[in-house]
Amino acid sequence: MTITVCIKWVLPNRDGDERFAGISLADQAALETGLRVAEALNESCTVITVGPAAAETSLRDALACGAHDVLRVDAPADTDSAETARALATYCEHSRLVVCGDYSSDRGSGSVPALVAARLGRGQALGLIDVQIVGETLSVVRRLDGGRRERLSVTGPAVLSVEGSVARLRRASLRATLSANDAIIDVVTNDASGAIRRTPEAAPLRPYRPRARVVPSPTGSSALDRVRQITDTSSSKGHGETVVLEPGDAANRILESLHTWGYVQES
Amino acid sequence: MTAPAHDFDADIIVVGAGPAGSCAAIAAARAGKSVVLVERGPFPGSKNMYGGVVYPRILDELIPSWWETMPVQRWVVKRSTMLLSDTGALNVDFRANAWGAPPYNGATAYRPDFDNWLANHAVEAGARLVCSTTVTGLLRDSTGRIQGVSTDRPDGDLRAPIVIACDGVNSFLAKESGLYPHTDASNFTLGVKETLALPKHVIDERFGVRDNQGVDIEILGGTSGVNGGGFIYTNLDTVALGVVLKLPKLAAQQKRPEQIIAELKRHPAVAPLIEGAEVKEYSAHVIPEAGLEMMPTMVADGMLVAGDAAALCLAAGIWLEGVNFAMASGMYAGQAAAEAITKNDVSSRGLSGYTDRLEKTFVLRDHKKLRKVPHLVLSDRVQHKYPAFVAGVVERVFRVDNPHPKPGVRRIVREERKKAGIGLLDLLRDGWTGMRGFG
Ligand SMILES: Cc1cc2nc3c(=O)[nH]c(=O)nc-3n(C[C@H](O)[C@H](O)[C@H](O)COP(=O)(O)OP(=O)(O)OC[C@H]3O[C@@H](n4cnc5c(N)ncnc54)[C@H](O)[C@@H]3O)c2cc1C
Repeated sequence: MTITVCIKWVLPNRDGDERFAGISLADQAALETGLRVAEALNESCTVITVGPAAAETSLRDALACGAHDVLRVDAPADTDSAETARALATYCEHSRLVVCGDYSSDRGSGSVPALVAARLGRGQALGLIDVQIVGETLSVVRRLDGGRRERLSVTGPAVLSVEGSVARLRRASLRATLSANDAIIDVVTNDASGAIRRTPEAAPLRPYRPRARVVPSPTGSSALDRVRQITDTSSSKGHGETVVLEPGDAANRILESLHTWGYVQES
Repeated sequence: MTAPAHDFDADIIVVGAGPAGSCAAIAAARAGKSVVLVERGPFPGSKNMYGGVVYPRILDELIPSWWETMPVQRWVVKRSTMLLSDTGALNVDFRANAWGAPPYNGATAYRPDFDNWLANHAVEAGARLVCSTTVTGLLRDSTGRIQGVSTDRPDGDLRAPIVIACDGVNSFLAKESGLYPHTDASNFTLGVKETLALPKHVIDERFGVRDNQGVDIEILGGTSGVNGGGFIYTNLDTVALGVVLKLPKLAAQQKRPEQIIAELKRHPAVAPLIEGAEVKEYSAHVIPEAGLEMMPTMVADGMLVAGDAAALCLAAGIWLEGVNFAMASGMYAGQAAAEAITKNDVSSRGLSGYTDRLEKTFVLRDHKKLRKVPHLVLSDRVQHKYPAFVAGVVERVFRVDNPHPKPGVRRIVREERKKAGIGLLDLLRDGWTGMRGFG
């Protein structure tokens, strides 16, 4: 049983310069959290990344900081989230706890930790802004919408995704840095399911412009009535609607409504 | 590679992965010694700036056919010296297209690319490079002998019988070791530079070059009354424009360096070259300017000092060369350190191969020959009177003032000299110093 930390090595931009590549603050916090938990529970800490050979720099940094083992699953830097999660889950199966950064510093959406949790069939505590070790248990605080917080106790095997503020990554000692430079990094090929899929090209971004709303001509008898009719907001029905549906249907319904109201467009 | 003697982490620690440090590490690692190269930046070159031209002939010895892999912006085929008065300019140009083909002469290059490339050669040679690590002091044994360095990392002491300080200008290691007792601000200049983006074809047209041909322009005058000089170098799609300013004068005049650059950019001879350019980067760095007069002792028991740390930068008006002096001195330091380890004598005597090499080669020979030039170039007369004097003479020689006949050149020189307030004796003295200095 180990604590596994998943990190993503990210190039600064699409044709980025490897010298400026690295892991996000959230991944750094995940690594520090993993190391602390491993130390407290007397476990070993393994760090995994799915990425190209250049990503080994970040694994060496992790070794220098105190990771016991590191592993690189060989894959292009733009491997998509589902594929990344599948590869990660293969190597996290036996770990007691999986710690990830909340999202990577590129187009991170936070989906990888969720997909890893789903594949492993484990609970996920996400959006963590505090992780405390209390005996054998972890007491964590989640960020909720509207400034609210939720405190959870994590006892069993779980996936945690932490924000960058949870912990500051320790500075590696000189000796460990030197020996990490010479360490041989374990690499596995990602061929369990055959081909590796790439993240599709991001759609070009454009400023948000909701579709124009069609307003019927006002029908009041006086000019004042007609102006009131167009400008009065108190009578506007808005888009509020409560429906009870299964999760899949609910998601479809939300998309459909957003589309109808003009908030999303057909790509 | 031999294992370092017990109690030591390496045979040689090189501090600073600039041009001096990387060349020291390459030379020592190639000689079979175990070398650790410590750099404070996240990667070599990440913290380093300079004007922009490297003259890498010395690399023939370390990296044969270096031009095939070196990250070059443009090969310098045109060298100009520009003398600026308030509104006029005298340009002396030399062009050699042969410099644009192997074995080349000089090249513009970005430091994060160049230094990183050089440090990779050190790693390939077997040196261990540790980045993001700042050396904070020297370790000594009970007898005071240098035994390595301390760093800002936890458990950060690193032990070796020889330390090569390549930590750049104002080297605190040279100071801490007592090799560099006095620092006199008048021996330093402040170099500030703007990197200005322009499309490649615009640079080609304005500077009269094509493909990867480049231009190196050194400027005298144009520094808003502060003693110093300027430079303009072409990269592929940027132009490096900067000034080098004598520190005490800058302080006395209470001018901001960016103000002086802005004024230089507005000079009628400079403005058309950079019109429409976008500022990409602004950087500043101190330069050891006084050459031989400010050099520290370069060898102590267990320690060598190379590159800017040893004030080996050559700043002599038409030349601003530091990187080649740093690479050469670094290489010689690495070779001498390796010899000392082999002989098992790391005392200053055992390390004296370093100064022998410096004395025999261009490193100290050029400095000795040009020892008076830095002060001459930065002197008040050369700075404030000669540009206007020369520009005045040339302006009148070329001005067609018909129906008046052309005046005699001797008369023009006499009148312009008086107008600029230059005494005949001073002119002769400076001419003599210059002739002897430039040899
Ligand atoms: C504005 C300007 C223009 C110039 N133009 C030119 C030019 O066009 N051509 C030319 O040849 N020369 C030029 N020079 C001079 C040239 O930049 C230097 O002479 C040259 O860089 C010296 O090399 P170095 O290796 O000795 O030192 P540096 O290049 O300064 O390298 C020192 C290295 O040591 C590292 N370091 C410092 N302290 C520590 C520490 N405590 N621990 C760990 N690492 C440390 C630094 O991060 C750096 O990487 C210019 C200089 C300036 C400022």
